Amino acid sequence: MPDNWGFVLAAYGLAAVVLIGYWRMLVRQESDLEDRSRLAPSSGHLTPGSQTTSARAGERSHAAPISGHPRPKPDSRDPLQ
Amino acid sequence: MRVLGAVTVVALAAGLVAGLGLAPREVTQGNVQRIMYLHVPSVWVAYVAFAVVFVASIAYLAKRGDAADRLAHASAEVGVVFTGVTIATGSIWGKPTWGTWWTWDARLTSVSILFVMYLVAAFNIPLVHFSVIWWRTLHQPPSLMTPGPAMPRVIIAALLVNFVAFSLLYVYFVAKRVHLLRREAEAAA
Repeated sequence: MPDNWGFVLAAYGLAAVVLIGYWRMLVRQESDLEDRSRLAPSSGHLTPGSQTTSARAGERSHAAPISGHPRPKPDSRDPLQ
Repeated sequence: MRVLGAVTVVALAAGLVAGLGLAPREVTQGNVQRIMYLHVPSVWVAYVAFAVVFVASIAYLAKRGDAADRLAHASAEVGVVFTGVTIATGSIWGKPTWGTWWTWDARLTSVSILFVMYLVAAFNIPLVHFSVIWWRTLHQPPSLMTPGPAMPRVIIAALLVNFVAFSLLYVYFVAKRVHLLRREAEAAA
């Protein structure tokens, strides 16, 4: 019987394509999830713990944004401020 | 996970060397028989994967645990991938040895049912395994577990290396998929 190396290579090549393709799909999904979890805090995603904090802060939120101008402490203000 | 991945890659490389290099040329079929070192471990993993689906599904029904549900989901998905590899490599092997890519042989048909209906796969696995004994088929009967002339030790060794490599690949894929499903559930909560 002829050796048919072409069939052997086709079988191994096809299996490699399928298995590497599946592995790449898993890796891509993992990096997508990592990206999403990195973006989640800034997009207002609420976790059960942060929900309580946000709700409490939402009642009277006077906190200055971190990137904004810092407010002077009340006792350092003069009456005109 | 990285260590498991590295060990799996080493095992797959060893399996490739054993199957394509160390194992001798088979007398009847020639070198095309080397597809066996890919085809048989793939179907082994498919059997294991669907057995895990069966056990994990029962565990989920009994205790409603999310971990069992995720394991069943991951194992079913990986099982379908390996069943696809089994059918494709079997078809490529069938052409030069049987003269056809596909025939409605009992083994080939039952594996196709396994592929399509993986949800009830656990009940189909005995059918797949014993199809070559219960019916007259073009597919050869089990080579390892039937009485008769024993396979040369080097062929059995090459096959075992590939069994180990594919089993490790299955564990790696399932672990990765379970990890992803857990993170998806956490993100959606």
